[in-house]
Amino acid sequence: MNLPSKGMTKFQSALRALTLMLSFALLSPVFAGIWDEGDIANGESLFKANCASCHKVTAEVLAAPGLAGIKDRWDSSDEMLVKWIQNPQGAAATGDPYVKSLVERYVGTYGWMTAQAVSAADVKDIMAYVQNPPDVAEPVLSENECLTIDEMQTEDSDSSSAIWFLILFVLFVIIAVSAGSVKKSLENAKLESEGKEPLPSMSYFESAKAWAWRHLAWVSVAGLFITAVFITMAYKGAMEVGVYEGYYPEQPIKFYHSIHVCENEVDCQYCHSSASKSKHAGIPSTNVCMNCHKGIKNGSRWGGEELGKIYAAIGFNPENGQYIEDYEEQPIEWVKVHNLPDHVYFNHSQHVEVAGLQCQNCHGDVQTFKGGRIAPVEEINALVDDYPGLIQLSKPTLTMGWCIECHNKAEVGVTTTDNGYYEEIHNRLKDDMRGNEELRKYLEDEKVTVKELGGWECSKCHY
Amino acid sequence: MLLKNTFLFLCVAALLGSCISDENSPGLEYMPDMYRSPAIEAYVDYGMDPYHFGESQVDSLNSRMSARKPAQGSIAYMGDQMAFGMPYPYPNTTEGYEAAGAGLTSPLPTTQANIEEGQEIYEIMCIHCHGEEGKGNGTISKNGHIEGIPSYSEKLKDLPEGNMYHSIQYGKGLMGSHASQLSQKERWQVIQYVQVLQNGGTMPEFDENGNVMEPKADAATDAAEPDADDTTQG
Repeated sequence: MNLPSKGMTKFQSALRALTLMLSFALLSPVFAGIWDEGDIANGESLFKANCASCHKVTAEVLAAPGLAGIKDRWDSSDEMLVKWIQNPQGAAATGDPYVKSLVERYVGTYGWMTAQAVSAADVKDIMAYVQNPPDVAEPVLSENECLTIDEMQTEDSDSSSAIWFLILFVLFVIIAVSAGSVKKSLENAKLESEGKEPLPSMSYFESAKAWAWRHLAWVSVAGLFITAVFITMAYKGAMEVGVYEGYYPEQPIKFYHSIHVCENEVDCQYCHSSASKSKHAGIPSTNVCMNCHKGIKNGSRWGGEELGKIYAAIGFNPENGQYIEDYEEQPIEWVKVHNLPDHVYFNHSQHVEVAGLQCQNCHGDVQTFKGGRIAPVEEINALVDDYPGLIQLSKPTLTMGWCIECHNKAEVGVTTTDNGYYEEIHNRLKDDMRGNEELRKYLEDEKVTVKELGGWECSKCHY
Repeated sequence: MLLKNTFLFLCVAALLGSCISDENSPGLEYMPDMYRSPAIEAYVDYGMDPYHFGESQVDSLNSRMSARKPAQGSIAYMGDQMAFGMPYPYPNTTEGYEAAGAGLTSPLPTTQANIEEGQEIYEIMCIHCHGEEGKGNGTISKNGHIEGIPSYSEKLKDLPEGNMYHSIQYGKGLMGSHASQLSQKERWQVIQYVQVLQNGGTMPEFDENGNVMEPKADAATDAAEPDADDTTQG
């Protein structure tokens, strides 16, 4: 009886130990080794979903300290780490000395961590990923192929052909002059051999004059032609005064529209947010840059160099991800590109909000530019495939001819927009006898243009 | 003699060539003073204008810069939007965030017009990070620049509107403050659209005036539908 009972107790105690261990393992399955044997792949997806918006696996500070070397740093129990992630305030309330030191060190700067709904097993996986981060943060290339016009340009502009023309002309003159002098010395030699007097020696100018008198008809035709060319050139030159097409100045920061608009698909009005509200489209103030660049500290073209200029302007320390206190902020001095004269009134919101125009209708394919550029009118016309209804214009961009040409052609959707102003105009015209006449006149071509609603009145833009 | 003439000619040619195009120069201005207003205009650098002002005046003129911060404590005049003009009472702290979540509610009725307006704003202001469906997978996230943006329909499904407003006002985590880009009314409009996204993107039903109809008997099925969507997409 003794033996079996002894056997039973042995068995029972073994069973009890097993159950204990099992229940223990079930209750806190990570007790031994939260730092090892986690599922790295699962940890990566968990990390990206829950932690990556504030923490990096490197030592870099994002919105909270980087997690590199956390295993060596963590100076408390494994359960406390799980508790700290699941409920930071609760973990602090336990009075654990290490957690207390964490709170003192970080909460004042970065605020409380958001409580994360992850299990202890999840934490184990996350820690596995944090300890085995991918070797290099491989740059993720955008699916969009985004080049700037500078990168696309291959052939030279025609300015070089004008230089070749001039060089040819100079060569021609040299040949003509030397041929003339060769001819003259040959003739002199002939005269000398015949025993006659040599031709009188003349300066270049005198000989050219004598040649011109001998070929008067040809010279006058050529002279007329040259005068005509010069007058045309002068006229064209004068027409380019005050025309800024192709103005593409270097900016203080090497900003690329192509990266922001094309690669990362940020809307124009995210940065130029006052385009729909005010006269000016607005240059984003530095705090708007920081909405993304608080987290994105390395640019894809220039690393941290160009972004550093923004940080210097606003007083941000990219090392610890914090703004410097009592910093004297400096505005960034961008070079103004689109500059209308003081005597012209132009309102962005009227065109964006009321007329519903796309930015590209007037500014061209900005997503292929670096900084600001005044797109030539031919370039804008060519966008008609992408922007149906884009009006083809002939006058240079940003000139008055360009404005009124568009106002003459652009139709106003009197019936399609729910703008009360047009409703009012329509009613007034309907009720008025003279108005009726006007209305009929306007509707002869079955469309209402901006011009017909006063878009060609001088005082619309000049007052 | 010949050489000298040729040299002169080349010099003239080079000069002509150089003035043909320089991207850094705006070109010639006709009557340059007409490009700068004597009245203060935004984005005009008065200090740079050599025709109007001498060097000595530049410093004082630079201080007339038009894009400036409003004086501290200014309250924006909102015209007919009086309900949205008041300063934000909650401080930028964790306690303020909690308090806003508990106490702050929208003064704006939920209507079709507001939600559609909110969607337009969302597609300008939020979509590149939060993604078209609010799942945190916008282009910036897909390109790997900012990761871990929480999904409205999962992690932030029950986020109160006061917390959303607080986050737009002050920013949260990596998200910066969008108070300078959105008016108070626009913030509430975009929040109405985010609430649609919290609900899996299903628009509520509207009556003929565009007001949201109160969900009645089929409220349970309404609530179940977006959940089913989530599981299939997740």
